Amino acid sequence: MSKRNEKYKMSTAARKENRYGLAFVTPPFIGFCLFMAFPIVFAFIASLTKWNGMNNMLDNFVGLRNYIKLFTDEKFWKVLLNTIIYMIGIPCGMILGVVIALGMNRKIRGIKVLRTMYYIPVISSLVAVSILWAWVFNYDYGLFNSIIKAVSGVHGPNWLGDEFWVKVSMIIFMTWKGLGTAIILYLSGLQSIPRDYYEAAKIDGASGWTLFKHITWPLVSPVTFYLLITGIIGGFQVFVEIVVMVPNGGLNYSAATVVFYLYEKAFTNNQMGYASAMAFVLAIIIFIVTAINFVGQNKWVKTID
Amino acid sequence: MKKKVISAILVAAMMTGCLTACGADGGAKGKQTVSIFVFGNDQEQAIYTDMFKAFEEANNCTVEAQMCIKDDYNTTLTGMMTAKDLPDVFYMGPEAVSQYVANGYAMEITPVLDELGLSTDDLPQDILASYSIDGKLYGLPHDASVFAYAYNKDLFDAEGIPYPDPNKPYTYEEFVEICQKFTKDTDGDGEIDQWGMGAANPFMFYQYVWSNGASFLSDDYKTVTIDTPEFKDALQKYVDLTLKYGVTPTVEQDASLGVYQRWLAGQEAFYACGTWDVAAFMDKEVFPYEWDLCGYPTLSTGISTTWCGTVGYAVNASTKNKDLATKLAYFMSADPDGNRTLSGITTGASIQLPNLISMANGEFKDAIADGSLPFPNNTEVFFNYLNGSDGYAGKFMESTYTPNGEWIDIFFNSLDTVKNGSVTVDDYIAQMQPQMQEALDNAWESVQ
Repeated sequence: MSKRNEKYKMSTAARKENRYGLAFVTPPFIGFCLFMAFPIVFAFIASLTKWNGMNNMLDNFVGLRNYIKLFTDEKFWKVLLNTIIYMIGIPCGMILGVVIALGMNRKIRGIKVLRTMYYIPVISSLVAVSILWAWVFNYDYGLFNSIIKAVSGVHGPNWLGDEFWVKVSMIIFMTWKGLGTAIILYLSGLQSIPRDYYEAAKIDGASGWTLFKHITWPLVSPVTFYLLITGIIGGFQVFVEIVVMVPNGGLNYSAATVVFYLYEKAFTNNQMGYASAMAFVLAIIIFIVTAINFVGQNKWVKTID
Repeated sequence: MKKKVISAILVAAMMTGCLTACGADGGAKGKQTVSIFVFGNDQEQAIYTDMFKAFEEANNCTVEAQMCIKDDYNTTLTGMMTAKDLPDVFYMGPEAVSQYVANGYAMEITPVLDELGLSTDDLPQDILASYSIDGKLYGLPHDASVFAYAYNKDLFDAEGIPYPDPNKPYTYEEFVEICQKFTKDTDGDGEIDQWGMGAANPFMFYQYVWSNGASFLSDDYKTVTIDTPEFKDALQKYVDLTLKYGVTPTVEQDASLGVYQRWLAGQEAFYACGTWDVAAFMDKEVFPYEWDLCGYPTLSTGISTTWCGTVGYAVNASTKNKDLATKLAYFMSADPDGNRTLSGITTGASIQLPNLISMANGEFKDAIADGSLPFPNNTEVFFNYLNGSDGYAGKFMESTYTPNGEWIDIFFNSLDTVKNGSVTVDDYIAQMQPQMQEALDNAWESVQ
C-alpha cells in the first residue's frame, strides 16, 4: 500500500516537474519555431518557386529549376570563390592573435589598456569601422597609400577599385576584424595552461620553440578550433563590409560575396525564389564544412584532461 | 507554492511578450483611419508629416504614417506584401505598375476620383500615362524629376569663356573643346586638379546613347541592342572624354573622391543637377559657387536627351476605405499647399517641381522671378526636358520597363575597365551583350 502510494507520489511530482519544465521550454521553443523553423521551411518552399515577392508563391512552382540554374550560374561560383578567398583572413587573424596573446600574457605596464585597444574592433559597429577602413584604403588620401608614397615615392594601388587589390583589402580587413576575439580567447587559453608543464619541460632542457610547439599550441587547440569554426561560418556570411566599402560589388563583381549576391537577387532584382535556393545551398555548404571540421577535430584538438 | 506562482508569472510574462509583439493594433476610436507608407530624407519626412496633419484636420481622420529612407523602402514593402499587410496608400514606380496590378495590389483609381469629383487635368499627362494600363489609371505622381546638366559660372568667369546657351546645347565636339580649356593643374604641383566635367557612369552615360540615336534595348524591351554601330560610337565618345581627351578625372581619381564631391569642391565645370538637387546647390554652405542649368551635349541626333523619373502613390486594392485612401493619394500628389511646400514656393528650398501644371507655369515661376525662391535662371531647361522641345527630350531609363534592372547593372558594373583603357569598346560590348541578354531573359521569365 505504502509502496504504491510512494510510487504514485513520485510520479505526480515527476509529472508536475515535467509540466513546469515544459512551461519553461515552451517560450523558446515557440520562438525557435516562429523565427527559425518556419523561415527555414518557408525559404525551402520558396526556393522551389518563381516567387518574386509580389506574385503568389505556390502558383509559381518550378521544382528544382532554381537549383539547377544556380549550379550553372557563373556569377554564383565567382562570388563563392571570392568568399572563400576572403577566408585567408581567418588563419592570418589566428596566427597574429596567438602571437599578440603570447606577448600580452606577461606582466607589463599598461597591459589592460593594450587589451582594451585590441578588443575595440569587436565591440564597434561594423558599419562604422567599414566606413573608416574605406578611408584607410582610399586611393589618394588613404592611410596606406600615404605611407607607401612617403616611404617609396610611388603611388600605392587602387585598393578598392582594382579586381586583385580589393581582395587583398578585404583580407586585411577580415584579419583586423577577427583579431580582438582571437587575442582574448587565446589569452584565456594561455592562462589556463598549468605552469608546471613548462617547468617540467624546461628541466628536460626544452627550448622556447619546443615549449610552444609541444605544450602551448596543442593546449590552446580548443580555442583554435572554436575560432576556426566560428570564423568559417561568419566568413561565409560576410555582407555588411562589402555593402559599405564596395557598394556595387567591385569592378567586375570582384568583391561580391555569396550573401551580397543573394541580397541583390532577392531585394534588388526581386528573384526571391532564386535567392532562397542560394541561401539553402549556402546553408548546406556551411553545414558540410562545419561537419568536416567536427569530425576532423579528434586528430588535432587536444584538451588538458 | 510561492515558487509555482513566480514561475507561472514568469511564463505568462514571456508568453505575453511574445504575443503582444505580433498583435500591435493602432487607430483612434470613432475616427476613420488611413495608413500610408512613403520614403524620404529628414527634410522630406518633416514636410510629409505636416501634410498628413493638414489632411487629418480637413478630413477628420487619423493618418497612420510609416516613413523610412529610400534604400530601405523596397525591402519593407516586399515584406508587407508577403505578410499581406500593405498600407492603404504606398509608393509605386512606373516600372512596378503592371506587376502590382497583375498581382492585385494596386487599385484602379479613376472611378473613385470621378465619384469624389477630383480632377487630374492639371497633372502632367505624360507622367500620368506611366501609371496607366489600357487607359485605366492606377497611380498619381508624387513627383516628376529631371536629371539636367549644370555648369559652374565662377569657373567660366575665371577662364573668360561665355556661358552655355540653354537654347542651343553644345555639340559633342564643341563640348570637348570647352572642357579641354577647363582641364588644368591650378596649383602647379604637376597634377591635374580641375576638369571640364565629372562623369558618373550609371547616371550620365544614357545621355550619350540616346542623343546618338541608340538604345540599350529594343522597342519591346526584350532584346539588348548594345551592339549597334550607334551604341558603340556613343560608348567610344563617352570613354574618350576620360581616355583620349582627359577632361574627366581618371577611374583612380574617381575612386579617391567621387565626381559629385569634386563638383561641390568647384573642381569641375560641368556636372548634373537633378530637380531634387536644386535646394542643396542653391545653399552657399553646400555649394559656394554661382551656377546655372544647361543642356547635355548632343551627338548625331542633335537632340539633347536625359532621363526623367517619377514615383507615384498607389491605393491598396484591398483597402477597406477606398474613398479616404484615394483622397489621401490625391492630396499628397495634387494638394496646392503640399505642392507649394515641396517645390519651395513657401519654403524657399526646392526639392521637386510642382506637380500642378498651372502652378509650375504661374506661382512657381513668379516666385523664382521675384527672388523668393532661389533657383537657377535657366529654369526652362528642366521643363524642356520634361515636356520635350525642339532641341530637348526626356525619357525614362529603359530599366523602368523591365521586371528588374540586373541586366543594366551588369553593363555598368565593369564599365570602368573601358574607361581606364584595359578593355576596348568592341571587346566590352561583345563580352557584355550575352550576359545582359541572359539576365534580361531571366527577368522576363520571372514574371511569366
